[in-house]
Amino acid sequence: MAKEMIAMLLAGGQGSRLYALTEKLAKPAVPFGGKYRIIDFPLSNCVNSGIDTVGILTQYQPLVLNEYIGNGQPWDLDRLYGGVHVLPPYQKASGSDWYKGTANAIYQNISFIERYDPEYVIILSGDQICKQDYSDFLKFHKEKNAEFSVAVMEVPWEEASRFGLMVADEDDKITEFQEKPKNPKSNLASMGIYIFNWDILRKYLEEDEADTNSENDFGNNIIPNLLKDNRRMYAYHFDGYWKDVGTISSLWEANMEILDPEHSGINLFDEDWKIYSRNSGMTGHKISAGAVIENSMITDGCRIKGTVKHSILFAGVKVEEGAVVEDAVVMGGTVIKAGAVVKHCIVAENVSIGENAVVGAMPTEEENGVATIGEGVTIGDNAKVGPKAMVRNNVEGGGEEW
Amino acid sequence: MVNSNTSALGIVFPNSYDALVPDLVNVRLMASIPFASRYRLIDFILSSMAHCDIDNIAVMVNNNYHSLMDHLGSGREWDLVRKNGGLHIFPPFVEKGVKPYVGRVGAVASILGFLRSQKEKYVVMTDTNIVVNFDFNAMIEAHIESGADVTMAYNEQELPESMMKSEDNGLAYYYTLSIDNGRVSQIYVNSKKTGIQNFSMNMFVLERELLIELINTASVRGQVYFERDVLMPQLNKLNIQAYKYDGYVARICDMKSYFEENMKLLDDHNLDALFSAGQIYTKIRDDNPTRYIEGAKVQNVMVADGCVIEGEVEDSILFRGVRVAKGAKVKNCILMQDAVIEAGADIEYLVMDKGVKVTAGKSMKGTDTFPVYIGKNQTV
Repeated sequence: MAKEMIAMLLAGGQGSRLYALTEKLAKPAVPFGGKYRIIDFPLSNCVNSGIDTVGILTQYQPLVLNEYIGNGQPWDLDRLYGGVHVLPPYQKASGSDWYKGTANAIYQNISFIERYDPEYVIILSGDQICKQDYSDFLKFHKEKNAEFSVAVMEVPWEEASRFGLMVADEDDKITEFQEKPKNPKSNLASMGIYIFNWDILRKYLEEDEADTNSENDFGNNIIPNLLKDNRRMYAYHFDGYWKDVGTISSLWEANMEILDPEHSGINLFDEDWKIYSRNSGMTGHKISAGAVIENSMITDGCRIKGTVKHSILFAGVKVEEGAVVEDAVVMGGTVIKAGAVVKHCIVAENVSIGENAVVGAMPTEEENGVATIGEGVTIGDNAKVGPKAMVRNNVEGGGEEW
Repeated sequence: MVNSNTSALGIVFPNSYDALVPDLVNVRLMASIPFASRYRLIDFILSSMAHCDIDNIAVMVNNNYHSLMDHLGSGREWDLVRKNGGLHIFPPFVEKGVKPYVGRVGAVASILGFLRSQKEKYVVMTDTNIVVNFDFNAMIEAHIESGADVTMAYNEQELPESMMKSEDNGLAYYYTLSIDNGRVSQIYVNSKKTGIQNFSMNMFVLERELLIELINTASVRGQVYFERDVLMPQLNKLNIQAYKYDGYVARICDMKSYFEENMKLLDDHNLDALFSAGQIYTKIRDDNPTRYIEGAKVQNVMVADGCVIEGEVEDSILFRGVRVAKGAKVKNCILMQDAVIEAGADIEYLVMDKGVKVTAGKSMKGTDTFPVYIGKNQTV
């Protein structure tokens, strides 16, 4: 039985610009928004859009991600035929290879895709926060009778040169592709989400693989080749919330934007478009007498005795008496001890912040940064972590790290 | 099968003591009463069993069980989707002229065929009006060690006022024990004694073969209640051992105890005592985290996911998806799933069932000795 469209989710990136956060896990597994991981967004989008077959291409530090995905049940992707499959590089009769590039990752899994005999394949990326109905995108693709479509966002012209840009005519037909150009001819940024007719994708993947000079990358090789051959390529305008969370500051920002859904456009309180995740299973959170909570998101297992302002707390975070947490993203299982001050920062999972320690600071004109503390780190009592610090190792009591 | 000498199957009685909380079981049964911000009562028993590798469980639903069926689904959340064993929900077998059973004897008699075909050596039986994070394996070990025919769990506590006051003793039997050197020497029905008692938790361990034999005999004789009709007359014949449980116990005996046992969990000491032994699993709703908006003031609360809080909340338990609007005041309340408290409303000492709405500006108050209950989906 053929599937109309299946999804291939690129989740192999190291996410090196997230530094301490991705030392032990792949970028798509980075926690986000109180109880999610980044990959929950594309996976939930798939299932909400009616896509029931997803291949997840992993390569870098896949253990956390593999365990998290499991059999796909939290996303309703445990299916008899289809469902979610984690696809690491594997050994073949004629040798084996790491995934050399995004296109090569798909190329090495052609036989996986063939099992479902799809008409279309949607390529997704595992490092974006976005609620998108892929069935609308597919409808557009079919209406245009396209062979390739790419989802694009209008970005401010002054920022356009940071993106891969699609130049399109009034019918949304793509005429040119500019990768981070100095002089942008368009402000339509590629979101890295593509729909291909499978026969076309397969043909170009095979040709690309045969080209020894190719970097095997969608943006650098496949799309230029399609353009060169005058394929029917269209740009699908998406105007919802979309954020690439590939850097510390964008990850922090996207978390903060959840606190202001009225203005930011990322609303997680959406009965019609739920984001699914693997559940922590902890009790409801507890806020003690004497605690102060302002404008924050708090989830199961948290115990709050101190002050929490404009912050996102993940499952099982403890904030002891007199501690202050402000403008912070604090991931699961972290303990912030009495009197500690934690501001404008990202604290990864299972960190211990000692009594009266200071982590990060509200931005000033001279200094502006998001302090980041890696997973499992212990910050000693009275220690200080500067607003630009990237902490990977324990900081002793009274010590400083800038 | 590995470990088969200690393997046990579970039999759960989700309708036991329904009569004690008529309001709460109006649209459900005891086992599916919401508790502790995100659980149902049966979650504690099923999770305890899951932690003890008891993964073959019969749930003997008798009436009003739609909400429980919905909650349990395939049993996946408790890891009870198994090829061998897993979750079995047994509704009563009713045909023309045959009424559904009353009491444990009839319930177990209805599944004797099932019991005969199972492999486990032991059976663990329990009600669901008792909130515990229970180590069944410890009880089974004690049972084996003592060489008992039947082991029954008890804890030491005063009898709940509501039970003692109950004028209709036939509504709900409860049992206290006299214990002689570990052996149950006397079982009392509906005792009115004050002070600390050996209060039966209605949890039993016995060999499957013995249970089949006892129930078969009792059923033929038309007997109804396991404790009263089977155990009490055979105290001399059967070696019935008492198993003392010292852990945290919350019993739901009436609306007042329901209210108080919820509120007790606002004390971290109690919360840890109940939950630290092992995670309690429940049905997942995929709510987003709870959002506290500018203007929210919260003190001493336990809150589940999916709530949006803009008003003031104090000394309360909020279940999933509750909304408290700006200027609303909530104090000493239990608000079950998806309750909506509109702007400026002022409520105190209420137990609000699922989906209740208090419209803007309304004020409604119970008292600490008499929390007022508002039924499912009502609008105030």
